[in-house]
Order: sequence, then structure tokens, then C-alpha cells
Amino acid sequence: MTRHILRTTSSRAVTVRRRGRSGAPAVLLAPFLILFTACTLIPIGYAVYLSLFSERRSGLGFGGSTSVFTGLGNYTRALTDHAFLDGFANIAQYCLVYIPVMVGFSLLLALLLDSTLARARRFFQLALFMPHAVPGIIAALIWMYLYTPGISPVIDALNAAGTQADILGHPLAAVVNIAAWEWTGYNMVIFYAALQAIPREVLEAAVVDGAGPLRTAFSVKIPLIRASLTMVGLFTMIGSLQLFTEPMILHGTAPGVTSAWTPNMYAYTAAFERGDYGLAAASSVLLAVVAAALSLIVTRISRSRSDRRTEVTR
Amino acid sequence: MTSTPSSARRRTRRIATAVAASAFSIALVAGCGSGGGDSATPAADGQPVTITFWGWAKGTQEVVNAFNASHKNVQVNFESIPSGVAGGYAKISNAVKAGNAPDLFNTEYGQLPDFVSQGAVQDITKLLNADLKAKYLPQSVELTTLGGKSWALPLDAAPQAFFYRKDLFEKAGITSPPKTWDEYRADAEKLKNAVPNSRIGTFFPDDPSTFEALSWQNGAHWFTGVSDTWRVELNGNDTKRVTDYWQKLLSDDLVRVQPSFSQQWTASLQKGETAAYLGAAWGGGVLKGTVPDASGKWAVAPVPTWDGKPASGMLGGTTFAVSKDSKKAKAALEFAQWATTTPEGIQARISSGTSSMFPAAPALVPVAKAAFNTDFYGGQDIYSVFSAAAESIKPNWQWGPAMAATNSSVKDAFGKLGQGGTIQAAIDAGQQATVAEMKNRGLKVSE
Repeated sequence: MTRHILRTTSSRAVTVRRRGRSGAPAVLLAPFLILFTACTLIPIGYAVYLSLFSERRSGLGFGGSTSVFTGLGNYTRALTDHAFLDGFANIAQYCLVYIPVMVGFSLLLALLLDSTLARARRFFQLALFMPHAVPGIIAALIWMYLYTPGISPVIDALNAAGTQADILGHPLAAVVNIAAWEWTGYNMVIFYAALQAIPREVLEAAVVDGAGPLRTAFSVKIPLIRASLTMVGLFTMIGSLQLFTEPMILHGTAPGVTSAWTPNMYAYTAAFERGDYGLAAASSVLLAVVAAALSLIVTRISRSRSDRRTEVTR
Repeated sequence: MTSTPSSARRRTRRIATAVAASAFSIALVAGCGSGGGDSATPAADGQPVTITFWGWAKGTQEVVNAFNASHKNVQVNFESIPSGVAGGYAKISNAVKAGNAPDLFNTEYGQLPDFVSQGAVQDITKLLNADLKAKYLPQSVELTTLGGKSWALPLDAAPQAFFYRKDLFEKAGITSPPKTWDEYRADAEKLKNAVPNSRIGTFFPDDPSTFEALSWQNGAHWFTGVSDTWRVELNGNDTKRVTDYWQKLLSDDLVRVQPSFSQQWTASLQKGETAAYLGAAWGGGVLKGTVPDASGKWAVAPVPTWDGKPASGMLGGTTFAVSKDSKKAKAALEFAQWATTTPEGIQARISSGTSSMFPAAPALVPVAKAAFNTDFYGGQDIYSVFSAAAESIKPNWQWGPAMAATNSSVKDAFGKLGQGGTIQAAIDAGQQATVAEMKNRGLKVSE
């Protein structure tokens, strides 16, 4: 009897699936596919197309220009341009400083929230997350004022205390600080959620074994949320490649943030300041390739990790 | 789960919603790319031709208002955009590329050849007559004529000028403004000794145009187009003298390094930490708007020179150019001509109180002079200073066809001045980047 019912349900499910195959999935996927095509595939295709052409002029250059197919010429130009490569070097430096600082702070805050010492958890969780709700461009504008000597109360106070604070002269520190404020709270929430998911028995066992709060944090909690830590680190790295808004805003006030401080800014300057759309497209495509390669590595790593974990559980 | 009428209806509704949603998103996407459609209506049917115009020169809104009030056949739709270096040029070239550029836009002399070379502006040679051209200073006509064709109408000539705080100079025992660069340095030292917090000037790392004007003043020629070849010489001896001089001022901490017209610069002027400003005629209005509280304390003098004889470069200077695809060039030029060569146009701009530009049409200088309220300068006749300076503008300076590349590379290298960079290194970088960019565009270059 039971078996019979089971069989009918499953056969009915099959018919429903078959009937729906033509309709529902197509309809549900359509908005995504249309937007994806219009906003991602077509622009990428157009960028690749643009990247194969260069504008050429003759004589003194006042007779108008013609578009010439230059093959991979723009790619060679981008790859041999120091400014473009320096952009990647800046990103690398930025990651080296920013990721440990930001992840360190997020982890510290998450552990504090998760610890038995914490009071007013809800409040701090929200308060620490707040800076993330400020859009990057607004945050950068506010920080720009806070960095500018002569109008910033912070810099004035530091100078009054006898230091010669010149954060605008140190682009890396200036950008890392803005980004850290923006993302620490966000990642703290991720870590906190991971910490909350740790089975309480494990923590109790640690306490029974005589581990203090510090020992529990370092030997039990952190190892158990290592997967989240790695993920946040890798995603931040990929995100850093796209760095644009914050340094672009600072560019106006801090001349040390050059017009090609990040690869994205290089593409922007090439297109909109120098009118060299071919070079801009080529550098954007190169940036996209690097980002795609990194993403691939990340997915590989995460997949192998989860595979390993299932094996262990099995 | 059988298909009941109600669930079938639900599904239909879902499909409809999905289709509507995707249609909406497509419309959104399409909306981003369109705009700026051409609705050219000939003036013959009594309807006015409306032109769109982008600019940032001070007093422009007042000029547009006055024009619209006094003209029936042409109406101007003005949009204020950020200044060229602050993103205005990027906005313009972007719009031209996207096909939604305004009919008319402002560009400085320095950027005009780049726009011409990019194909962003229209050749207006046929629309100008000799009478109109004769109204402008020859230097201005020269800078808007490229490859034998006219590309823009000049608004102002921008002779250099030296603005200084009388009270602070007095405090330092400086009795008259410096006439030579040697005196400028000596005064810089005097000022720093008497008022340790104060400096005589600012080196703008974000905008090389002051440095370019100073090189121009010393007789440098960064670009020379001979037949079909460009000679590019950013690092010649005439420029080197300026480079070395300013490098020494920087090393000895006699001038500040702050971005031009930044909050930082403004704050420093307000606190008297910067006592003078090397600008151009138009700077008079800008300064007045920047530190209104210091009214009566400022004065204007001719820019210092190397040998004490009057000499000037041009620092900035605005022109009106018609965009490539505009079908309303005639109407656009009617406005541009009115704004640059009529007493009403100049009067409207200067009496806004924000502009002290020196008209490129010399006959209108008295109009400008009468319209400018000189209380800020203690009643000084600043236009006489500008007139003398305008006469001393060195002829034959040419701007290069890739100034954006030149400027952005020089700017980037100026940005390293705080971290061991030098002005010379910046100029060398500019030379290299400019030549590379020009060669890439297919132009012939000799160094």
C-alpha cells in the first residue's frame, strides 16, 4: 500500500516535471539571462571588439581619425606600460596590508561578540555593521575631508599633539583605512555567524578540559571557522582587483594617488581622459581575465575543501 | 498537483509578471544608452532653436540668462559641469563618444587640439568671417586655429597675474611686489622668516597648467608643428630654468604643495598660511569667491619675470567649441559670438561678481573693467594690470594634440614630489608619455 502510494507520487512528479520543462524554467531564467546578456555578455563582447582597434591620424592630427585594426597591439601596449603593471603592484601591496588588518579586526570583534564577556550583543552587532551601510563613494568623500589638513579636526588634533600627520601623502594607508572601515563590520557578521554555528558541546568540552577563553578562541573556535576565514580572504582579494571608487575620490585631493593607481583607474583614464578606448578596453579585458583566473582558483579550493569535509564526515 | 483552473491562472499571471519584469529591465538598460536625441527645428517656423551648452566658466549662468531674455530665435539650455581638469573634459569626450554631446561646450585652449585630434569638435571655418576674427586678440585666434582651420571662439585671454596679501607682505617688510623671480625668492624667504607659518605661493601638483604658463613665459615651446611633423620639447633649456628654480623653492620649503582650488588650499588662504597666488586674470574673481572675508587685503601685480621686463604666458583661457555631431552649429555660434564679442555678453558675465576674466576681444576690456567690483582689491584698477600683461603674452606658443596624456603623466609624477620625486623627473615622464601617445596615434614626432 505504502509502496503503491510512493510509486504514484513519484510518477506524478515526473509528469509534472516533464510538463513544466518547457515553461517554468524558461520563464524563471529569462529575466536573469536577458539581463546577464545585456549587462555582461554584450559589454564584454563589445570590449573585446573595441580592444582590437586603434584610432590613427595623419599629419599634425587635425584631419580627423580613422579606426584601424591592430590585433593584439593594444594588449601589448597595456602589458608593456609601467603604469598598468604598477596598478597591479599597488593592488598586491594593498592586499598584503589590507587583508590581514581587516580580517584580523573582523575576527577579533566576532570573537569578542561570541565570548561570554559580551554585553549588549545585538547593539554592537548592528553598530559595528553600520559603516558598511554607508556607500563607498560617500565614505570616501567623508574620509577625504577627514584626511585634509586645515579642515580635518583629526589631522589638526594630531598636529597639535606634535605629530606631522600627512595621510594624504601615503595613499596606501589612506585607501586601506577607508576600506577597512567599510568591510570590517560586514565580515565580522560572517565570522560571528560561523562562530555561532560551532556545536556548543565542543566548547563545553573545551571548558571542561580547563581551557580559558583565549585558549578556546585560538585552539577551538578559530580552527573550526577556518573555512570562512579562507573564503573571506580570497573573496576580498578578488574584490580588491576591482578597487576604484575610493582611490578615484582621493585622486583629486591626494596627488600621490596617481591616475592609474589601480588597473581599473588605468582603464578609466585611458578611456575618458586620453580618449584611447582601444587601450581602455584591452586593459579591462586583461583585468577581467586575471579576476576570472583568481575566481577559478577560489572555486577549486573551496570545492576540494568541501569534498574533503564530506569524506571526513562519511 | 494537477493543473486546476486556478493554478493555471496563477501560472499565466506569473509568466506575465516575469515577462513584464524582463521587459522593464530591457527598457532600463536601453534607457541608459539613449538620450540627447536631436530635435532640430528650424527657426523659420517661428519656433526657437534650443541649443544645449556645457561649461564651467564663472558667470556663465548669468550670460545664458541674459541671452535667453534678449533672444527669441535661439534659446540656450545650459548645464554647469565640473571644470576640465576636475572631470569636465572626461565628461565631454565621453558624451561625444556616446553620441549625446551638447551642441556647444567650453574648453580651454590647451585641450582644444586634443579635442580636434579626437574628432570631438566641428570645423567652423566657413561660419566665421574676417570681421569677427578681427575682434579677437591675435594670440587667441592663433590658439583656436589648427591646421589652417578654425575650431572655436575664444572667450578670454588669460594673461598671468600675481595676487598677494598686502598686510602679510607689509608684516614681512616687503614694500613692493616682486618684479623678478630673484626678488620672488628673496620675498619668499623674508615672509617665511617674519611669519613662519606663511608661504608666498603654492605649487599645484594636480594641475600642470601653472607650470606650463611659467615655461611659456620663459620662451619655451613644448610643441611646434612644422609641416606634418610635431617637435616635442618639454625638457628644453627654457623649461629647465623654470624647473630648477621651482625645485629649489620646494626643497627649501618656501612654497606649499597643495592641489589647486582644493579645500586644503582654501583653508590655507583663509588662515593666511598662504600669502600669494600665481594665477591669471580670471583668478581675480575666483580668489574673491574663495576668501570673501579677506576683502580689501588683496592686491594684484604683474607676474614676476626673469629679466624684469614684462612677459607672460597664458594660464588657461576658455573657448567655445561646437561638438562634432551638432546640427545646430549656426545657432550655437550665434550664442558663442554674443557671449564673447558683445558688451552685453561681457557685462552679464563680469557683473555676476564671480568672474574677472580678460576678454579675448580687447575692445570690451573697458566694459569688463566697469562691470567688475574691485572692493576686494581695495579699489585697485586690476584691469590695467591685466591689459599690460595681455600685451606681454609671448607669441607662437602651441598646445600639443595629446595634452590629456601629457598632463596626466606630468600630474602623476608631480604626485610623487612628496616621496622623493622631482619636477625634472615629472617633465621627463611627460615628454616620454607624450611622444609615445602621439606615435601611437600615427603622428610624426621629432624630439
